[in-house]
Amino acid sequence: MKKKDPHHDILGDHVETDKRVLDRARSAPNFRGDVAFAKADARPLDPDLCRQVEEVCAPRAIASREVDGRFQLTLDKGRCIMCGLCEQAAPTLFEVQSGFARPVKRRADLVVTRQSDNAPYAPELSHEELGKRLSEKITKILGRSLAIREVDAGSCNGCEVEVAALNNAIYDIERFGVHFVASPRHADVLLVTGVGSRNMESALRRTYDATPDPKVVVAVGACASTGGIFRDTYATSGGIGNIVPVDVYVPGCPPRPEALLHGLLLAVDRIR
Amino acid sequence: MTNGEVASVHSGAANRESMLLEAFGKRLVSVHTMNWNEVHVHARSKEDIPELCLYVRHELKGKLATIICSDERRVTGAFVLRYAFGIGGGEDLFVIVTARVEQGDSASPPVFPSIALLLPAATLYEREIKDMFGLIPEGNPDKRPLTLHERWPEDVFPLRKEFELRTKVANAQNRDYRFLKVEGEGVSEIPVGPVHAGIIEPGHFRFSVLGEIIVNLETRLFYTHRGVEKLAEDLRLDQVLLLSERISGDEAVANSSAYCQAVEKVAGVQPPPRALQIRAVCAELERVYNHLGTLAGLSTDVGFAYGAARLNILKERMMRLNEQVTGSRLLFGVNRLGGVGVDMPSEKSRLVKGTIDTILADFNRIVKLLRNDSSVMDRLRGTGTIGPNDAEEMGLLGVAARSSGLDIDTRRDHPYGGYRSITIAPHYDTPRHITEHEVEMANRRGDVLARFETRVEEVVNSVNMIDEVLWDLDSDPELLVPVPRETLKPFRHALGYAESHRGQTVHWVMVGEEPDSLFRYKVRTASFANWSAIEAAVLNDIVADFPFVNKSLDLSYAGNDL
Repeated sequence: MKKKDPHHDILGDHVETDKRVLDRARSAPNFRGDVAFAKADARPLDPDLCRQVEEVCAPRAIASREVDGRFQLTLDKGRCIMCGLCEQAAPTLFEVQSGFARPVKRRADLVVTRQSDNAPYAPELSHEELGKRLSEKITKILGRSLAIREVDAGSCNGCEVEVAALNNAIYDIERFGVHFVASPRHADVLLVTGVGSRNMESALRRTYDATPDPKVVVAVGACASTGGIFRDTYATSGGIGNIVPVDVYVPGCPPRPEALLHGLLLAVDRIR
Repeated sequence: MTNGEVASVHSGAANRESMLLEAFGKRLVSVHTMNWNEVHVHARSKEDIPELCLYVRHELKGKLATIICSDERRVTGAFVLRYAFGIGGGEDLFVIVTARVEQGDSASPPVFPSIALLLPAATLYEREIKDMFGLIPEGNPDKRPLTLHERWPEDVFPLRKEFELRTKVANAQNRDYRFLKVEGEGVSEIPVGPVHAGIIEPGHFRFSVLGEIIVNLETRLFYTHRGVEKLAEDLRLDQVLLLSERISGDEAVANSSAYCQAVEKVAGVQPPPRALQIRAVCAELERVYNHLGTLAGLSTDVGFAYGAARLNILKERMMRLNEQVTGSRLLFGVNRLGGVGVDMPSEKSRLVKGTIDTILADFNRIVKLLRNDSSVMDRLRGTGTIGPNDAEEMGLLGVAARSSGLDIDTRRDHPYGGYRSITIAPHYDTPRHITEHEVEMANRRGDVLARFETRVEEVVNSVNMIDEVLWDLDSDPELLVPVPRETLKPFRHALGYAESHRGQTVHWVMVGEEPDSLFRYKVRTASFANWSAIEAAVLNDIVADFPFVNKSLDLSYAGNDL
């Protein structure tokens, strides 16, 4: 057997969180990330196509309506589950990008209209760059590490897989001064996933009440932001915002670890 | 497999049909076989359910796969119950006992005879049916609500047709949920959850302990109940596919494969061979990354952070591979009705082979390290034991069952899709290895260590299977056959099944009257069948052992709660 390069020996004492690795670690070119309007094209919208693509979208993220005699198409990135069916049905209207959908502080910022120009797409920051900024901000605002309590309020566990990944030796979020704690009483941030199910409603509220001020709530994923594919039904609340106040929305189904880190970057701003 | 085979009938079906007819004769309305391997037995009276089920269980050696209730009052004038039993051991048959339950007059709720005391595995299904349909299982000793918690009114049933999906039901007076109380000197109770200390899903555990020893554990789940089955009745068939991927995010491929299979059976189409192979490859990728995660979790929970960190590196590498191959770290979007949405061209194939082979080599080194560490092994050995009889009675599935000596695996017992032509455990194909395997199964003690070893073995097998399939990918590039969603015959129904990394998942669909809709979508994941195991497994262990006994069973809350 070939002698192994010590840097690739799984039991070796190298640093797996090699900066060079992480600086390159952006999403794969075919990653289904942010869904956006396809490059603006001057032609007016075809109402039939709009209605058709509206039908395709399971979480009902796409809506079209007539405003002042003009047809308007909106996309709610908070609902979007990145399935890519809209791109398949209407490639002239939508495209799936490989960068992740950006977290925002206001629910309304997740809804984009085709008539308005697409915001220029800021180049995606690598995990390492995001982490460095986060770490600086935490030190400046808190002067200590940031404590997070994760609460599953009815998710499919996809978001849990990604939140847990933040703690693996590759993302290793603790080196940026972010620490997952076991009790809401020790937390600055509640990272909430899931639809806000009816059966979790009181538990989520009590967890929120148990968290000392100042506290920040981050809604992780389409479900927590809006209900996602599970929508607003007898068993769900249409997003955790209907149960506790939300400070940051992280779109995605599930959001990849970099997106979560980006969400935390915004969350720290809200600690006052 | 040709298209014709879907329509024809399994050769063993006729034999079972005549056995059933002989035993029950006039008490049956009809016996017929459909979807190749589903033998449907219609009982004239619901009172015959217990006897029929016992017969299928003991004489036909059927294993309870699921119990399906559907509200067909508007169509046939009654609720319909279907008890599906799987017959494995080289037979690949399902026997489905069907009976009607009339609505009755408004004063008395509809009732059906419980089989919970005869087949304990049926207990939870019956409670679920009571909550969701309002049919009372007469004789089921547990009268507490299950799916809908105490603030849900007692007379509202979400899966009845008259209930509208978006109804916001006002909170009822808080009903008391009573846990079993263990009394005596020195016994105390520890309530845990639903919000836990780790990054995991919500559930409530009520321990009764005598000092450190657990004398009783009761689980209370369904905190993540999202109304999946009701919601499916409001979506189009291709949208339900997206929903099926999100039943339990980490078993997306298994659940969506089972759903696709059910719809494809209803439509009478067979996906192209290459698509079925890609489904199988992705299902095994899913198994590998999840088993790696579970083994890492076990290592964490016994306090061996070094091993956990190494295994989590491998899990992350797998998830990156998933992303590069399918565009999703959790393998969402692999399946499409009638085939798959991702191809495996030769450069991706090479990438997969190269990556998993390196991962396997690293994995073997980590496993060797763990096995040589007595502080890890001593913790695992003899902890959280589930004996083979208990496993059989509770109807355990997947890794949990195989670790207790039950040799069951849907991929082999009910070969589906690509698994019809894949050797499940490539190194068991010689007589000597088969004997060795039998000895191995007999030696499995059902403790955490056995589940550890089963997972290790499955990671190795899955990697070998992926290699095998990728060498042999069908050269016909076709990935999809059209599924005529708009023109499916209303009320046609079929079972779909798959082996997830947790065990068998069973999905049943019935086509709706509206074009491109479902009348009923019943899901039963392995977690629903396996959750009861935890209560038995931790008895007489200490409280500190609970986390890794739980981890070793790797149960999904979301998959259970729907």
